[in-house]
Amino acid sequence: MTLRFGIILALAALVVASLSIGAASLWSGGFDAAWLIAVSRFPRTAAALLTGAGLALAGVIMQQSVQNRLVEPGLTGTPEAATLGLLAVTLIAPGIVIFGKMTIAAASALAGTFGFLALSRFVPRHDPMLLPLVGIIYGGILGAVGLWFAWNADLLQFVGIAMLGDFSGVMQGRYELLWIIAALSGVLFLIADRITILGLGEDYARSLGLNYFQTQMLGLVIVAITVAVVVVTVGSMPFVGLIVPNLISRWRGDNIRANLWVVALTGAALVLASDILGRVVRYPYEIPAATIFAVFGAAVFLWLLYAPPRRKPQLDGNRRKPLLGRDRRKPQMDSNRKGAA
Amino acid sequence: MATRIPTTLACLLLATAAQAEDLTIPTAIGDVTVASGPETIAVLDAAAIDTISALGVTVDAVPAMPPLSYLSDVFETAQPAGSLFEPDFEALAVLGPDLIIAGGRSSTQVEPLSEIAPTIDMTIWGEDMIAQAQDRIAAYGTIFKQEAMAAELSAALDARLADAVAAAEGQGEALILLTNGGNVSAYGDDSRFGWLHSALNLPEAYPDLTAETHGEAVSFEFIAEVNPDWILVIDRAAAIGQDGEAAAATLDNPLVASTTAAQEGQIIYLSSAPLYLAGGGVQSMMLTMDEIIAGFAD
Repeated sequence: MTLRFGIILALAALVVASLSIGAASLWSGGFDAAWLIAVSRFPRTAAALLTGAGLALAGVIMQQSVQNRLVEPGLTGTPEAATLGLLAVTLIAPGIVIFGKMTIAAASALAGTFGFLALSRFVPRHDPMLLPLVGIIYGGILGAVGLWFAWNADLLQFVGIAMLGDFSGVMQGRYELLWIIAALSGVLFLIADRITILGLGEDYARSLGLNYFQTQMLGLVIVAITVAVVVVTVGSMPFVGLIVPNLISRWRGDNIRANLWVVALTGAALVLASDILGRVVRYPYEIPAATIFAVFGAAVFLWLLYAPPRRKPQLDGNRRKPLLGRDRRKPQMDSNRKGAA
Repeated sequence: MATRIPTTLACLLLATAAQAEDLTIPTAIGDVTVASGPETIAVLDAAAIDTISALGVTVDAVPAMPPLSYLSDVFETAQPAGSLFEPDFEALAVLGPDLIIAGGRSSTQVEPLSEIAPTIDMTIWGEDMIAQAQDRIAAYGTIFKQEAMAAELSAALDARLADAVAAAEGQGEALILLTNGGNVSAYGDDSRFGWLHSALNLPEAYPDLTAETHGEAVSFEFIAEVNPDWILVIDRAAAIGQDGEAAAATLDNPLVASTTAAQEGQIIYLSSAPLYLAGGGVQSMMLTMDEIIAGFAD
């Protein structure tokens, strides 16, 4: 209970901070506070929360689908495909309204991700590292094509800035696509158990009666749409999909249904905290949230790689699977682990 | 070839008649001695290409770079010599120029380029851009023996500046913004666009902005809070041709709309390519000042 309470309290504090901190002063006359919050602060806060939650959840799905904890949603060629779409719009119709731009880039990102899914059917499944590797190569090729176009049109800097996750341009009318993430999260909560089974591997999953391919497809489509929407709205946010699921899994185990909300809220809180920090560090100028998160994320990632495991794996005799998605037991390994270490 | 021979002969005659003398000219890294009247020249900086071609001097090699419409015939006739940042040393060695003029993005290459031919660094940067531009016009005038033309250009630039100062007088404070996709950066009076403030006596809407090559990333809230009377917009993404449209879409939002500049229709979209790529070139500066004079007059 304290955990749930703590996360929600921290999130609430961050939301209040985010609503009150910004380049324009909220209370000193110049602006109508309600208007400013409605036009700028609330959209920015919501965008950070949705991005964080969406990418963290996408990370869970990816890692379960390919049974590899070091996989990121960014490894499916999706960000690169989205960039290609953005570039195409910028070159062909630079004057198009921003919402149109986002829709075209999202469509292109989806197309890119389906390309990856099509490719993945030919990848042998016995080695889980193969798929992420194929993803890296595929993304690299798409990225190279984009880079070539950008280089020729002198848009390298444009691409660099568009790809760097940054909430400074977010406001009413510029982020609404992100609400798709909320809908996708709803779907994800419905199929959470299937995603858990997915993580057991194809043979187990099939013997448990799961339509493996269909479930994996559904999961990856959710990932694709989430990443596409984030990339075109705020840019790419590295590490979120990588470290948040790993942190939570380390802390609470792998019951997806029990963990989903923790993963979503933690991702949301961390991204919002990065954005707030980015607003404050060089006030009134901005540092992109992705830059802040990358510094933090890299440190956490190294810690995850080198720290000793928090729990013993499932061999633990008195471990009882929680039935209703609530694992309230405190981890009991601490004293043992210290002794062993 | 047939036309080439008489020209070469004429050049030889001229060269022997005039005799190249050594000149000391001011450059970005101090005074440098060069021979006057170079025949074949490679110019690796857009601002230098701009000013030198304005003097009626033929440029033989230029870097491959985004199109600058007003310099298109120069770029068509000259041969390519690498990119803005990385000169093509082989092509330059084959060309065997009498003088290489580097600057700005190619200024780091001055030393290696000196191995091929005498190279001068004619970078123009920062607050006193007009003064530097005038220095460059005079220097090029001496090097290429076009003193009269240089004096004319100089006077024209001064006259245009006086017009621009008059147009900007009493108009209020301005904020220079560079848009790049959906993001915005602000530039102060000691930045690459700073001469728009300092030379035109145009007060800064937010005087604390400091020198940053790529400006300071700002939010739309910042623009609303600063509330400038005028906004000068440079669209980085439109260095590919279509000026203004994308920047206008980026700035079309309630926060920018709340500023005096937007309410009074005082947002000036500048042609980004001349300003961004050839800033400091005499034609580029004239063009930008024309746009500003027209903008303030409306």
